[in-house]
Amino acid sequence: MKNPETESRRWRWFDYRKPIPSHVAVGLGVAGWLIFFCAWIVSDLSGMVSELLVPPPQKVVAALVELIAEQGFLGDIAVSIYRVVVSFAAACALAVPLGIVMGAFKSVESFFNPFVSAWRYLPAPSFIPILLMWFGTGDAPKLALLFIGVVFFLITLVMDHTRGVRLELIETSLTLGGNRWQVLWTVVVPAVLPNVVVAMRQMLAVSWTYLVIAEIVASTNGIGAMMMRAKRFLHTDQIIAGILVIGILGLLFDYLFRVVHRLLFPYIEENAR
Amino acid sequence: MSASVVKLSAEGVGKSFVGTGGRVIQAVRDVSFAVHENEFCVLLGPSGCGKSTVLRMIAGLEDPTTGVLRLDGHEILRPDRERGMVFQSYTSFDWLTVGQNVEYGMKLNRVPVAERRERAAHFIDLVKLTRFRDAYPKQLSGGMKQRVAIARTLANSPSLLLMDEPFGALDAETRWNMQELMVSIMDSTQTTVVMVTHDIEEALFLGDRIVFISRHPGTVLEDMTTDFKGGTRVRRKEDMLTVPGYAEMERHIMRLMREQGAEHEDEG
Ligand SMILES: Nc1ncnc2c1ncn2[C@@H]1O[C@H](COP(=O)(O)OP(=O)(O)OP(=O)(O)O)[C@@H](O)[C@H]1O
Ligand SMILES: [Mg+2]
Repeated sequence: MKNPETESRRWRWFDYRKPIPSHVAVGLGVAGWLIFFCAWIVSDLSGMVSELLVPPPQKVVAALVELIAEQGFLGDIAVSIYRVVVSFAAACALAVPLGIVMGAFKSVESFFNPFVSAWRYLPAPSFIPILLMWFGTGDAPKLALLFIGVVFFLITLVMDHTRGVRLELIETSLTLGGNRWQVLWTVVVPAVLPNVVVAMRQMLAVSWTYLVIAEIVASTNGIGAMMMRAKRFLHTDQIIAGILVIGILGLLFDYLFRVVHRLLFPYIEENAR
Repeated sequence: MSASVVKLSAEGVGKSFVGTGGRVIQAVRDVSFAVHENEFCVLLGPSGCGKSTVLRMIAGLEDPTTGVLRLDGHEILRPDRERGMVFQSYTSFDWLTVGQNVEYGMKLNRVPVAERRERAAHFIDLVKLTRFRDAYPKQLSGGMKQRVAIARTLANSPSLLLMDEPFGALDAETRWNMQELMVSIMDSTQTTVVMVTHDIEEALFLGDRIVFISRHPGTVLEDMTTDFKGGTRVRRKEDMLTVPGYAEMERHIMRLMREQGAEHEDEG
């Protein structure tokens, strides 16, 4: 828990896993970005790189404003978010319950795990051609790709976390009279849930990766499609604006998950997050 | 201690595990003893002799390979609320407050809310945690977490309380407090207890009966009653040292322990 009285008192830069004051943490995060932008601007000013290939930040921002104002870029962004959210929700709806049951019962694990493990090693993009043939050119093949790209990893992560639930907790419940169903709902699920949310946060990043792949390869709308259009006309500023937007969205979603985690699991020690 | 109604009996209980590479490890063999109603029974023995294994079989968490265990004459086949267990490691549910932890078992067994609250309050008071009723376990010390586990198990009114080295991880002073707390709990509740320990003083202080298990593969070496206490429980630990017969029994058990340990070294 944060304690303003003790927080900024005495701290050192390199203490193993000790928290640092929040204003320092924020400052460090901002500094990382500032250095990045400075290097970018300097390399442009020095003329070391061609302005066509690496446009300066201000041109990128201008391109972004223009994209939004005149080319309906907000619509593209909305389409991309929609694809990620829908496919990710579907993947979670399958992976979380299945992963938990697999982690809890060896018989379920033995049935599903050989199948799931194999699929995990097949690169999702290799399904793009067949998905296009099956589902045509609408939203369906993109949703399917994102689903395939995420679901098998998420199942495995959730299963591993569920296996990690301490046996003593389960046995405590059993010796208090808990039946199978009660143990699942009152011990296994609450014990694993914080880790499930962390796993979801990690896999959402993967979902964005597949989204851009799907939209670059075969799409007429979405952020990735906009970037491919821009490439045709050598609009590097627009391409980089697209990358920027994806980065910002990723950051936003990540932040959202952190907030949800903090709200849902107030009983977890701050250090263990 | 009291009228000799047998509560728990072990009849020729043995347990083998299949270890790595299919090697069979016999943890305990031919363990037989009986625990009477309202008795505090201590399982004592050198490390690795199979105390935990016996306790887990009584809880129904493991099946015996041979023999039977009976509670009130019925064979023990699976875990249930009749046999509540307190583990050596902390088992508080992090996502529940102290109060919710203590109510947990009663909630599983559909005890009405009002009764649940009342019983939980009673047992939280008994383990002196009333001030922390709404705290989460992360805010508690190790000893306090263990008291939560004890209150949670007792509040569920098991007819047999099982404890596996419940105070092993605690510092000496906290451990005395917990042991004295157990004595007062025994006085105020009607439970039968089987507790595992390898602390001889603890065994003598708490136990009405001490079942000494031999080194691996464990079997009952000696089944003793702590008659020197004259049928009453000593309430303060230091007072036990002056009870006649205490030193003698401690010396006897220490010798057993040393013999068993020494044989163990020869083996290794
Ligand atoms: N699940 C298991 N699989 C294989 N062997 C086991 C298992 N559980 C216990 N054993 C073996 O059984 C023997 C007794 O173990 P147990 O944990 O009951 O001893 P203990 O008396 O409780 O020891 P300690 O005092 O150190 O806790 C040991 O040799 C151990 O290796
Ligand atoms: Mg043990």
